[in-house]
Amino acid sequence: MNEFYYIIPFIILAAGILISLVIEMYFTSSEKILPWFSILTFLASGFSALFLVNNVKVVFENMLMSGGNVNFFIFIFNLGAALVTLLSIDYIKKYHTYYGEYYILLMSSVLGMSLMAGAKDLIVIFMGLEIMSVCFYALAGINRNKLKANEASLKYFLLGSFATGFLVYGMALVYGSMQNTSLEYLFLNFTKFNTNILFLAGLLFILFGLSFKIAAFPFHMWVPDVYQGSATTVSALMSTGGKAAAFSAIIVSFASVLTVVNTNVFAPYFGAIAVFSMLFGSIVAIAQTDIKRMMAYSSIAHAGYMTIGLASGNSYGVSGIIFYLAAYTFMNIGAFGIISIVEGKNDTNLTIKSYAGLANKKPILAGLLAIIMFSLAGLPPFAGFFGKYYIFIAAVKAKLTWLAIVGVISSAISVYFYIRIIVLMYFKESEEDFVIENSNTGLLSVIIAVLFVILLGIAPNSVINLISYFAK
Amino acid sequence: MNLYNIIFYLFAAITLVSAFFVVTTRNVIYSAFNLLLTFFGVAGIYVLLGADFLAVVQIIVYVGGILILLLFGVMLTNKIVNVQIRTGATQILPATIAVGAFSGILISLLVNTEWKKVGTALPGASTTANLGMLMMNEYILIFELLGILLLVALIGAATIARK
Amino acid sequence: MTIPIEYYLILSGFMFLTGVVGVLTRRNAIVVFMSIELMLNSADLTFVAFSSYLGNSIGQVFVFFVMTVAAAEAAVGLAIIIAVFRNKKTVNIDEINILKW
Repeated sequence: MNEFYYIIPFIILAAGILISLVIEMYFTSSEKILPWFSILTFLASGFSALFLVNNVKVVFENMLMSGGNVNFFIFIFNLGAALVTLLSIDYIKKYHTYYGEYYILLMSSVLGMSLMAGAKDLIVIFMGLEIMSVCFYALAGINRNKLKANEASLKYFLLGSFATGFLVYGMALVYGSMQNTSLEYLFLNFTKFNTNILFLAGLLFILFGLSFKIAAFPFHMWVPDVYQGSATTVSALMSTGGKAAAFSAIIVSFASVLTVVNTNVFAPYFGAIAVFSMLFGSIVAIAQTDIKRMMAYSSIAHAGYMTIGLASGNSYGVSGIIFYLAAYTFMNIGAFGIISIVEGKNDTNLTIKSYAGLANKKPILAGLLAIIMFSLAGLPPFAGFFGKYYIFIAAVKAKLTWLAIVGVISSAISVYFYIRIIVLMYFKESEEDFVIENSNTGLLSVIIAVLFVILLGIAPNSVINLISYFAK
Repeated sequence: MNLYNIIFYLFAAITLVSAFFVVTTRNVIYSAFNLLLTFFGVAGIYVLLGADFLAVVQIIVYVGGILILLLFGVMLTNKIVNVQIRTGATQILPATIAVGAFSGILISLLVNTEWKKVGTALPGASTTANLGMLMMNEYILIFELLGILLLVALIGAATIARK
Repeated sequence: MTIPIEYYLILSGFMFLTGVVGVLTRRNAIVVFMSIELMLNSADLTFVAFSSYLGNSIGQVFVFFVMTVAAAEAAVGLAIIIAVFRNKKTVNIDEINILKW
């Protein structure tokens, strides 16, 4: 079979980018056409990935992997991006900031994420990361006349390229120690190099670079500012797709650590990151008054839970992370979706107090948000519960029970600020009087996300079987 | 001490001293011009290492592209007329800690690694043909991706910088 | 050809550290960005040194890609800096503080 057959999801995205450029240029009504065209592209790319999921093959001179986990990731990225696009339609109308480039950059960022998931060589991780990051830098500041957005993109850009510096330096050290940049080679010879300090330092630097993108503890400074300053829909994609892509890159580059027993030299590092991210995220989130900042700290905490899976270093951990990422993608897109619907013009209604009495005003929205908050807090029977459950099981199986216990404690802390929103919505009277504009497409997107949250919660076994089946 | 060594130390000195001035001068314009020297020094060292193609690319891309862009940035964002181009320093303490940690890692690397004493042959043949073959065969996918990245950067930069 | 590879690595290590210091201590966004370029350059130098001493061209190809990516990043970065300057009239990162760090 021709190698192009295996990269159809990528080709569809790339073609989508080019066609959107033409649409943006020639059609005056591109505001109406482009979102639907990009949703179509995302769905086509996502479902073609799902269709090709059984054709596991390494293509293009050992550069790119297709099939299995990779395609599952690509499916999640595309589905997430399609939901975000659906949210964006009314959000952009509300702010009167239509730029056709927005959708083009969304598509390109998904292309970058997919590359990171499928990387079989360090250079592909680097290129994927850069395509994704450049899009995010631009997307964060796409409302170029808004100072907050400018500032968010400047911070994201400076700290992001700082992290890229570490990543590249780490890659140079790894290349120097093993004379190769192939991840397959790294995987096969890991035990040979794992006492080589040059190699380990290189991997550590790569990990620094990627920890920045997953928003884990010592590299989290940008998260609250960027999520708060950027458009809500962009934050939705950054917090889900960006994080998932960085995790997939960690999973592919540290595959031997995670699957071969007794090679997890990075377990203490992952453990420390996990503990600090979870506790820091959950505790600081309590003090927040802005809902987007609260979600940002919650995102740091969730990065911590997922890092437990890396620390445990077994196949349960990997499938747990993948399940968690899928669940988190839908939960967070749902949450940010509702935030973007409730949000008024000029950044109003973004405090937590704005949600008081939402149940009377918009019962449907309140119900959906309640489900999402329960799920984020990790209460059964929603997706978030099983995500945490699988991760903690993996930790216990790896004899890291203490890490699982810290995780449970942190979840208990986080229940407070998630449930606070539900209490506000149902049991408090609204203090400010404002009208929430109806958004049918936004509501549709949130409903789809919530359906997935419920589906992953009710039938997690079928999904996890699917993942572990492909993980082989 | 042969000529090769002298040239190495010369370029290394240029690189390090100008890199030091990039981050210490208080005037942004001086930083930019010191950066120019750093890029030249690195290009010289590439030549010593037998990477002639990269040395030229370094000068074309960094000096001819990035540095000019940076200078434009400096001129567009500073009031040249009022000579308000001075900047100060912040966050000395975290910087000290971070740099201490990283130099620790790097020194332990240097001390603990068995360096291969291979030694290269002096650059005889040009590397350009070889690199071209690699880029068009093994790395063709990356080469195409580079096209996408540049397109995206173009779109992003144009979108953000426009009024 | 008597220079051992360590010398090149020490040189690039120093450049890298200089870049880190610059990023952490300077206030002007453009100087911070220059320091990031220093870091990328030192990584490039490490690649080329290894590539030359290992007699293996992969490193040089890698450097070529890193350079191009750095150029793309520079374009986007400068655009962002100019957008900030247009709205705020400063590029000092400690004065840009509507959002707390």
